[in-house]
Amino acid sequence: MTYFLYPGCSLEAGGSHYLVSVEAVAKALGLQLKEINDWNCCGASIHYVGGTELQTKTLNARNLALAQKQGGYDIIAPCSSCYIQMIKAAHEFEDEPELAAQLNQILAEGGLNYTGGVKVRHVLDVLYNDLGLERIAAGVKKPLTGLKVAAYYGCQTTRPYGEYDSVEYPHTMDDILEALGAEVVPFEHKAKCCGSGIFFTEMETCAPLAGGILGEAAEQGADLIVTACPMCQMNLEIYQPRLNKMLGTEYDMPVVFVTQLMALAFGGDFKKDAALDRNIVSAAEVLKKAAA
Amino acid sequence: MATKAYDKSFREEVYQNVDSGEDVKLCMQCGVCGITCPLRGEMTHGPRQLWALIRAGKRDEVMNSPDIMLCTSCYSCKVRCPRGVKVIDVMHGLAHYALEQGIVPRKETAKFGKVFWNSIYKTGRVDETEVPMRYTMMAGPVHGIFAMLEMMDIGRALLSHKRMKFKLGPGLPPSKKIKGIRGLKKMLDKAAAMSPGKEG
Repeated sequence: MTYFLYPGCSLEAGGSHYLVSVEAVAKALGLQLKEINDWNCCGASIHYVGGTELQTKTLNARNLALAQKQGGYDIIAPCSSCYIQMIKAAHEFEDEPELAAQLNQILAEGGLNYTGGVKVRHVLDVLYNDLGLERIAAGVKKPLTGLKVAAYYGCQTTRPYGEYDSVEYPHTMDDILEALGAEVVPFEHKAKCCGSGIFFTEMETCAPLAGGILGEAAEQGADLIVTACPMCQMNLEIYQPRLNKMLGTEYDMPVVFVTQLMALAFGGDFKKDAALDRNIVSAAEVLKKAAA
Repeated sequence: MATKAYDKSFREEVYQNVDSGEDVKLCMQCGVCGITCPLRGEMTHGPRQLWALIRAGKRDEVMNSPDIMLCTSCYSCKVRCPRGVKVIDVMHGLAHYALEQGIVPRKETAKFGKVFWNSIYKTGRVDETEVPMRYTMMAGPVHGIFAMLEMMDIGRALLSHKRMKFKLGPGLPPSKKIKGIRGLKKMLDKAAAMSPGKEG
């Protein structure tokens, strides 16, 4: 099975542990990942400040056109913001012939063309639907028994189309984590927003959102929060000391990517495959519990 | 009692010039968007009221509302809207339109967003070291240094955890460009010229 990987800007920097672990998981499960050659940024959540809607669609149409030209495999976009921007453009290209014509007129400026049909997939979608829970469970060498996790999808992971999971009550990541042997705690905040792209610039305003997520996870007795979005991981993790100050709390909650736990459960190396040494709030202690 | 007719010029302006602005026509004023919003407590109007104000011709209230730039793009309202209004795209469209007219609904997000977009336009990607640095330095030479120092803990943590590339300062070294940057710029310029309110 061959897929395109669209790492996006985040996985090259703040979400580098996501990239390492996605690649390790793909390798363990026999997926071939090819990077889209010369991809550009998707525009992310605050594209609108500098760009128009059509410009943002252009960014994504260029990536879709490159993917088509380079083989047309399904594109895996692990970052939820990349996923949403790209799938929006892909859908609207199919649904609105006028827009499709406009985009091709624009793409022609750079010598490109897109005829539609390339599929955009979230990493959870591919893991759950193309590989399936049985294959995931069969790959587990070190089950995460005894580890209590809060599965936090965030807002853009399944919305707005709900292509592979519920937009309100997603379950794919819960099921994957259970297949790894972890105990998934009930979590009302699973698809609530953390502040997303404006978290950094509106931290005081968004602090209660992130606080609610961290708070419920702690209340439910979770050892860590598991996510599938680099923005959620970043917002909830690296700003925890600031959030604690603003909210008068004392959270020390590791926030890891689902693929990091998968890599570990598949018997991969803590650093080399799971990149768990890259988490700033370390999960090493709570993971010992599972190993014991 | 005499009644005053709504001024229809602003709604026409929105339908024509704002990205996805015509979606406002679909709204039936149920209010699901407003109550769904995670930042409802922080908003003065929220989407439903903004749409009503647009229809009522209240240009100043809409264009100066900080709400239009407080959307986190979580898509909760979008998936719940019974009329299928592209709530988020309209909010973003309004924010973009206001900024173009020199109105700044939220100062920090506007500054950061501008640096963010410039990075895309100039290099094709967002450099996660460069963009926060440039944004921080926008506070001015003195405030910028203080703001930078305040962010040092985060920067150091990211660096030491292999989640950030080292830079001495903005442009040191310059961010890498994608190979097709010239083509991408041409495309973005063309797209700008073809966007609502820009034709002709």
